[in-house]
Amino acid sequence: MIIQTALLVGLVLFSALAILLKDLLKAAISLAVASLLLGIVFFRLGAPYAGVFEISVVAGLITVLFILTIALTNTGEEVRESRLVNIVFPLFFVVFIVIDALVMKGLVQKIPALPAAAESGTFGDVLWKGRTLDLVGQIAVILAGVFSVLALFRKRDKHD
Amino acid sequence: MIILFVALPLVVAGVLPLVGKISRRVLPDLLANAALLFLLVYAVAAGRPLIGNGPVLQQLTWLGETVNLRLALDGFSLFMLMAVSLVGLCVGLFSVDYMEHYGAKANYYALLLIMIAGMNGLVLATDLFNIYVFLEVAAVASYSLVAFGLGHDELEAAFKYLMLSVVASAAILISIAVIFGMTGSLSLPAVARALQELNAGPVVGISAALFIMGFGLKAALIPFHAWLPDAHPSAPAPISAVLSGLLIKVSGVYALTRIFLNVFGLTPALSTVLMYLGTVSLVGAAFLALGQKDIKRMLAYSSISQVGYIVLGIGLGTPLGIAGGLFHLFNHALAKGLLFLTSGSLQQATGTRDLREMGGLAKRMPFTAATNLIGSLSIAGVPPLNGFWSKLIIIIALVQAGHPVFAVIAVLASVLTLWYYLLIQRQAFFGKLNERWAAVKEAPFWMTAATVLLAFLCLAVGVLFSLTIKTWIQPAAGVLAEGVQTVIRSWGL
Repeated sequence: MIIQTALLVGLVLFSALAILLKDLLKAAISLAVASLLLGIVFFRLGAPYAGVFEISVVAGLITVLFILTIALTNTGEEVRESRLVNIVFPLFFVVFIVIDALVMKGLVQKIPALPAAAESGTFGDVLWKGRTLDLVGQIAVILAGVFSVLALFRKRDKHD
Repeated sequence: MIILFVALPLVVAGVLPLVGKISRRVLPDLLANAALLFLLVYAVAAGRPLIGNGPVLQQLTWLGETVNLRLALDGFSLFMLMAVSLVGLCVGLFSVDYMEHYGAKANYYALLLIMIAGMNGLVLATDLFNIYVFLEVAAVASYSLVAFGLGHDELEAAFKYLMLSVVASAAILISIAVIFGMTGSLSLPAVARALQELNAGPVVGISAALFIMGFGLKAALIPFHAWLPDAHPSAPAPISAVLSGLLIKVSGVYALTRIFLNVFGLTPALSTVLMYLGTVSLVGAAFLALGQKDIKRMLAYSSISQVGYIVLGIGLGTPLGIAGGLFHLFNHALAKGLLFLTSGSLQQATGTRDLREMGGLAKRMPFTAATNLIGSLSIAGVPPLNGFWSKLIIIIALVQAGHPVFAVIAVLASVLTLWYYLLIQRQAFFGKLNERWAAVKEAPFWMTAATVLLAFLCLAVGVLFSLTIKTWIQPAAGVLAEGVQTVIRSWGL
């Protein structure tokens, strides 16, 4: 229970840091740490496949991509942001945490939660047979992402 | 093969950018519109006989093995597929000429087709998480389509849309997680059955509230509407037409309706909440629309108001109310699609969206003026156009169900609607021709053709309204009116 709570608190903390930190590199690393902690939570809750994906793809691959992009584009210029952002986000965050805690406290014994079942079948079964339509959706999301990059970073020869 | 509704647009989208390398214009135009035409013909010709003996459930096999790829087609989903394909095709035709000056046409069509595949997938899905995934497919494509013009306003609107949409997705995802925790299943029939047996009122209430917030944001109901008046006007006109005509209805109204009526079951409390949300939206947005000077912004506010009518009708929960709501959904898809397209013709001809700068354009753009008038009168609910009948059905249903106050509000809001649409018509098309527009010409062929087709449909559906209701609306409304039993009895594989 203590370990679980520590993991969850760490997860929230590093996620908040990822948003609040002004240095992009530090923000990217905070995000990686947050998703590493989330991966561990997945393992402890009996979802090893989700844990493996979370750690390898989100904590690993995506962080590498972020850091590469930051390294290639960072010109050292400070982006000026409105002061309001520095106040509004933490305020909203605290209010959210309080509401969340109150709601969850009220719900803790009321959700007729089912006992966690171990993931059935091999990894291949779960991915290819269990959630096939989601895979089709995933392919569509990836296509949409690729075409978005192609479309939004095109040469603006005619429109401008 | 109902998977074609998802697979075909995706495959065509995948090859379009490659085709675009060979031919920058003609082939992408041809291929994308052929795919959209095929989907429409398939939905209309093959879909209805297919569901003649009740809903079709498809369990696909892949290389000889059964995989979890389950799709369901019933009256409601077929109705939505038909609406998506119909407006999609008109938008595709309009884009042939309109998207010429944006460049990257093949990429544009690819994103449009992915958005349509996402909407079709959502409509056919039989599982909560599948619904979420396809919601995101359509949303991701729509973010970049809103930003497609790459101007400052477009990028800002797309970012705002993205941020609020992510909040909506998070609310939906939390709700799905709560339901999964309670019932141990994600498939709609299993969840519907489990919720009937479980006695977990407060938790169901919380997940319903999260769904209302999430899908309410997607449908842009007041008070979740802040993103729409920025995002819809900023997009290229055909995309505004898809967003307002289809996307808010599929990812907002359809998903909300399917889950609340067929999975949760519409309780009196839920019905009241939906009716109030609908009424606040239809009145509030009508007043907000009145003050707008930007034609597309006015149309965007009008979309919020009309979605209010749809939610009011469906939220009422009586068979007649549901039929009226669905009929209005279809009519609004046609008419708002049409109006966003004519606003695109205006913007392309004059270079402005400000109504105060226009005037007398009917002399220069007679087809655009006439089709715009038909669309306006249709949404305002003037007989014999299609919008009149759907509003009439909603109002009769409200009176029958003993809600005369809601009925009066709906009638008064309809008068407001007529007012601001006549404002558009008068300021843009009637009166003395502004000297600046002396050289303006009618919109190019395909743009005019698409608007004329939609205007003709508004007229035809209005004149043949009883036929439309019998063939399309009643089967769809029947599925919803049966409540949870539809899904539990006939969707369990």
